[in-house]
Amino acid sequence: MIDERLEELASLYALDLLEGAELAQFETALARDPSLQALVHELRESASALARTAPTAEPPKHLKQRVLASIEARQAAATPATLTKDNKAIRPAFGGWQILPWMAAASFAVLAGWFAQRYSASQAEMTLARDQQALTAVELQSVRNHLEAERIVNQRQIITLSEQVANYTRQIGEAQQKGTATLRELADTQQKLANTTRELAAAQERANGLDRLLSDARAQIAGLSREMQAQSDLANLKITTLASMLNNSPQALAVAVWNPAKQEGVLQVAGLPALGPNEDYQLWVVDPQYPDPVDGGVFTVEATGGTNRVNFKTRQPVREIGAYAITKERKGGVQKSAGPFLLLGK
Amino acid sequence: MSLLLSSFPETLACAVAEADGAARKRHSGSHMNQPAPMPPPDERQIVDTQLMQQVARGDKQSFAKIYDRFSGPLYATALRIVRDAAEAQDIVHDAFLTVWDKAATFEPKRGSAFAWTVTLVRNRAIDRMRSRQRRAELLAESAPMDLGYQNDITGDDAAASSDAAQAVRAAVSTLPAEQRRALEMAFFGGLTQEQIAQTLREPLGTVKARIRRGLLKLRDALAYRP
Repeated sequence: MIDERLEELASLYALDLLEGAELAQFETALARDPSLQALVHELRESASALARTAPTAEPPKHLKQRVLASIEARQAAATPATLTKDNKAIRPAFGGWQILPWMAAASFAVLAGWFAQRYSASQAEMTLARDQQALTAVELQSVRNHLEAERIVNQRQIITLSEQVANYTRQIGEAQQKGTATLRELADTQQKLANTTRELAAAQERANGLDRLLSDARAQIAGLSREMQAQSDLANLKITTLASMLNNSPQALAVAVWNPAKQEGVLQVAGLPALGPNEDYQLWVVDPQYPDPVDGGVFTVEATGGTNRVNFKTRQPVREIGAYAITKERKGGVQKSAGPFLLLGK
Repeated sequence: MSLLLSSFPETLACAVAEADGAARKRHSGSHMNQPAPMPPPDERQIVDTQLMQQVARGDKQSFAKIYDRFSGPLYATALRIVRDAAEAQDIVHDAFLTVWDKAATFEPKRGSAFAWTVTLVRNRAIDRMRSRQRRAELLAESAPMDLGYQNDITGDDAAASSDAAQAVRAAVSTLPAEQRRALEMAFFGGLTQEQIAQTLREPLGTVKARIRRGLLKLRDALAYRP
């Protein structure tokens, strides 16, 4: 059974249209398949019949003479004039009584031979020309073969290049598809990033709110701490009332409040006599660790009422307050008082 | 003449023989290992074969008869392909010399004598045409009318043509026009498959299918089958 593909190849083969690998493959199949050989035979006969469809054209009469003359010349060149194509010598029989006619015939033969020689010479020239023409045809055939080989090579190169171009085109298409997918992924990622950024901003806002709450809480804690510290400081405050030690100003009174943590204190006085222009009151703090009272600073009082409120700090650090004393000193105070104490409190 | 023979290079003789052989090989199927069963030849083919066998034995009268029987379509074919009377005459001349020289190698079981001589003429004509690189010009000049396919066979044509030619023309005229055109370009154009497709502006597969169908129909019409 010959399928359509083989029929097609056989048809192309019958018309000499197969080339290259296709031709080689078909001839391999042809050599193995008698039925395919029969089909090729039929198709070749059919193709040859197309020659009869060419527009009618009779060859010129002289062409036949030319062909026959060439045959004669070729035959003459191949064998002696008296030999047939089968190389069998013509051996005429001679009789003695026929000598005269044969002499005439011999004369005619000589004459014919001369003409034959001339004819052969001209035919030889023609044959030489044809041989040269044949040589040229062979050379042309060689050139054609070479060009055909180049054509086949170029065709294969073109096929190879076309395949490469198709491959590259396919790769470009795939790359474009990948690029498109990557762009889609990138857009998705950007969208996710924007969402994440928004979420991050919201989280940051919440964090800021928490920070504010934390700051407020810390402030409250600090306030509470301060309050607690103040309460603690208040608990540690040393409050002392100073009473007058002089008879001339029995109404004089002072209250001293000392913060041991801060090493500072407040002195409130009232009823002290007015000072002279070159005088100051000076506060003294008695601490057992020192042999002498520690200077607590100088102050003045209102001319009327003898009052004042003074924040004071001791010149030396005080660990324990044993007593307060107030003296009247020269303007600016002294390092060591000689007395007497105007007010004294323990 | 013997001088000429002795001066005729053996290589050239071989080359000429090979060129003829190669040309013939393209069509004669010399690659076939075993001959396949072939259809019985008709009477015309039997006579042609007998004449060819006589030619192989050096019978010039038989050669002249072969010439008379074949020269018309062979010359018309050559002229159709190369479109030059002088060249067509040279082609027919050379082909008949090859027939004379190689008649002994003709094998009837591999094809008819007419098919063999057509192959000789067609290959030579196509080679010449290609060497002149005139395919484009010839194609441009050619028209379907050239083959006479499109027209009915006139009385004059019928009178001028042989019975065989009439039969072939009648068979070809039954083919669809596109199949006739593809076969014409393949047989007379000397073009490749791709060139035929390019000229007809049809896909290559379509051209191949047309050639296949056209040739098979022609075979059936001419009864070249058992």
